[in-house]
Amino acid sequence: MKIAVLLSAGLHPVSGAPVLPRVEAQAIRMAAGLGASSEIFGLHAGPDAAAIAEALGQGLDRIEHIAVAAGDDPVPALAARLAELAPALILAGRRSQGGDESGLVPYALARALSLPLVSDVVAAAREAEGALRLDQSLGRGALRRVLVRGPVVVTCHPDAPAPLAYAYGRARRGRVETLAVAPAAVPAPAIAMEERPYRRRPKIVKGAPAGGSAAERLKAATGESGSASSGRLLIQPDPEDAAREILAYLRQIGVLAPAGAGAEPKI
Amino acid sequence: MTSFVPLTTVFPGLVWLMAALALVQVSRRAALWRVGTAAPVAWLDGLAKLPRRYLVDVHHVVARDPYASRMHAVVAGGLLASSILTALAILPPLAEFRPYWFLVALAFGVTAVGSLLVGARRYPVKQKRLSAGHFQILPFLLLAYAVGGTITALLLAFGGGGLFGSVALALAAAGGLGLAYEVRHGPMRHAAAGALHLVAHPRPGRFEGRPDTALQPLDLDAPRLGSEMPADFTWNRLLSYDACVSCGRCEIACPAFAAGQPLNPKKLIQDLVAGLSPAEPAYAGNPYPGGRAAEGERGALARLIGPDARIHPDTLWSCTTCRACVEECPMMIEHVDAVVSLRRHETLERGALPEKAVGPVTELRQSGDPGGRPLAARTDFAAGVELPRMAERGGAEILLWLGEGAYDLRYGRSLRALVRLLRDGQVDFAVLGAEERDTGDLARRLGDEATFQALARENIATLSKYRFARIVTADPHALHALRNEYPALGGRYTVVHHTAFLLELIRAGKLNPGRLPDLSVTYHDPCYLARYNGETEAPRAVLDAIGVSRSEMARSGRRAMCCGGGGGAPVSDVPGERRIPDIRMAQAAETGAGIVAVACPSCTAMLEGVTDRKAEIRDVAELLLQAVEAGR
Repeated sequence: MKIAVLLSAGLHPVSGAPVLPRVEAQAIRMAAGLGASSEIFGLHAGPDAAAIAEALGQGLDRIEHIAVAAGDDPVPALAARLAELAPALILAGRRSQGGDESGLVPYALARALSLPLVSDVVAAAREAEGALRLDQSLGRGALRRVLVRGPVVVTCHPDAPAPLAYAYGRARRGRVETLAVAPAAVPAPAIAMEERPYRRRPKIVKGAPAGGSAAERLKAATGESGSASSGRLLIQPDPEDAAREILAYLRQIGVLAPAGAGAEPKI
Repeated sequence: MTSFVPLTTVFPGLVWLMAALALVQVSRRAALWRVGTAAPVAWLDGLAKLPRRYLVDVHHVVARDPYASRMHAVVAGGLLASSILTALAILPPLAEFRPYWFLVALAFGVTAVGSLLVGARRYPVKQKRLSAGHFQILPFLLLAYAVGGTITALLLAFGGGGLFGSVALALAAAGGLGLAYEVRHGPMRHAAAGALHLVAHPRPGRFEGRPDTALQPLDLDAPRLGSEMPADFTWNRLLSYDACVSCGRCEIACPAFAAGQPLNPKKLIQDLVAGLSPAEPAYAGNPYPGGRAAEGERGALARLIGPDARIHPDTLWSCTTCRACVEECPMMIEHVDAVVSLRRHETLERGALPEKAVGPVTELRQSGDPGGRPLAARTDFAAGVELPRMAERGGAEILLWLGEGAYDLRYGRSLRALVRLLRDGQVDFAVLGAEERDTGDLARRLGDEATFQALARENIATLSKYRFARIVTADPHALHALRNEYPALGGRYTVVHHTAFLLELIRAGKLNPGRLPDLSVTYHDPCYLARYNGETEAPRAVLDAIGVSRSEMARSGRRAMCCGGGGGAPVSDVPGERRIPDIRMAQAAETGAGIVAVACPSCTAMLEGVTDRKAEIRDVAELLLQAVEAGR
């Protein structure tokens, strides 16, 4: 199973030193859990490979580097190389960490390669017949299990298992191959944005009672009295039970007419 | 005597035969040592200094157990004297001189007394720290050789012989040849390997009276980093592990062993010995607490560390690098060097750091601080206190190295006290502020030599920008790195611990502390100050200068017990039955002192974290500040 891990040149959030973003190191660990290291490779498009060489110490033996001038769009170069290699799985981080890349790159690549994208994955495992079982984080510990077949782009979530430790000896043995391709210089799409220093703001909780005790406000904020708490969780239910529940819910919220009023569909 | 050869020739011949057998057995061991890597050894110098190293340095350690010291003097002295005297009797003039045989009998008699002393440690009940196995037959071999030798020598002195002489000679031969045979796998190996180890010691500086404790820098371009298998150790280190006499003094001193973590320094060394030689008999001492039985392949090329190998990774990561085992070892074995060398391979080649240590080491590599905190925040503890920066001044008499403790709220109090004392003493000092990176101590003890060297180079480059006479630091770990380990990377500084510097200020009259006779204090020695640097007097002198009533714990000075905070042990966090700081605070409570004085940020954090403690934890600087304020 050929796996490509997309690497970006990140900066350390505190020191500003060039580092491999943590979530990409987690993606390397996820890849290492899926296949032999000979089939896993890193892929980076950017002006300089030095910044991502750190990934060699964290589980990758080989990184392909496509030289792209600073300010140019890396997506066409990455898409061309990935189309050529056709890996079964393309792993990426989910947002940039101080570098020039943005979290849109995996989406742009998925579109260019016409591949499905599964975002925020915390665990991946191989299933029978080349399928992949992916656990997608839905936030607050909720997970959704997805089974995919065929090539797919996956972005890794920070809740995935912690990165492997950096091994200096491995980094020393690994190699960065700079590909001798001269992709057409496509300037990166200009996204209108401005940079401001970060200001911490209080979190606004929708529907939170203005008064009440602290315990009540906490309950409101953590969703215990929200819409999720009134629902029922059915795990692998009987299809008829599931259908009945869905109908009951749709009637409750007024999408379907109440029972008895009009022709009820037979199930 | 039925033989044609007279007893006066056969008896010395026996000793020569023993020597030959011992030599054969040593050379069989030496073939194993030769699989190790090369090491520079000053042979002539070592040989010339062997008697001194043995009689002074080894004796200094052995004498801590007076019984063992007397026992060893009698049995080893007797054995050597009787064997040499008998061997010399191969010369006919001596052999025919009857009074000479009285002398020989006397030497054998002394050996016999010694062998009884050896036996008394093992029978009827073996002392707990000693190993059984081959060691249990040692007193019988010694006794047979000594008694047989005594009778034979007496018979020769009185001119007797006959059947009785043959029996006595046979007894001596059984004991003597048994002892010589045991040079390969048994107890007598320590004598041969120990003597060679003293000659070819990997840290000869230890015998010159200076603390030779800096880890040797690793060549990061070497084809293999650290030690994965016995053949990766230098040959003289393999020899040093063979010198182990399994006395168990290290396991009594080891804090991880006391806490029930899966480490026993004696077993670790014996595992290195057994890992080298598949023929080694089974280990018969105390096991790793809670650890599993040894398993996995053995041999010069067999992997030593691993869940399925001879030494479990938890054993390796339990070590606090406190050097208590090294301090107690009468055979001068360097356990901590072995641990760090094995850790270097695990970390650098396999990336197999303990799960919980990965975060701090990664942050250290990426941001220069194990907590990933902004370097500029290091001086936050001094809010409201004026703290001059080197960058603004360009130079100062004293550079104050703050260390990692500065980020800790509790330890910030100690540093504020120190800064105020420096102000009171009108010291011209400055800090690096945001330019100070971690010394890399944590990374180095956890085997990440690459990160240590990178941080050291950055710090050395920063320090070279400024003019200062001395570095003062309150962190013994930083002190050890800056004073002893940076020189190998090109940074040479005069580094003073804050307790020594404060003592200087008191003696120079710049600080005039009042007296605090109402406080009862016991001082806890930090490993990296007392054992690594031999400094035990300055903090005590400061405490005496402020007139507190000072008591000593049973284990203090160079033999103090670790707080559990060194060597990355707090971040590795290998589970045990007890916590090391709890044990240390219980020892402090035995003195009845209300205050435990500390002089290290790690000790402060570890001891202050003990629940239900009765004593207060105060840095020496805090106590001195209190005294200075009382004296105003």
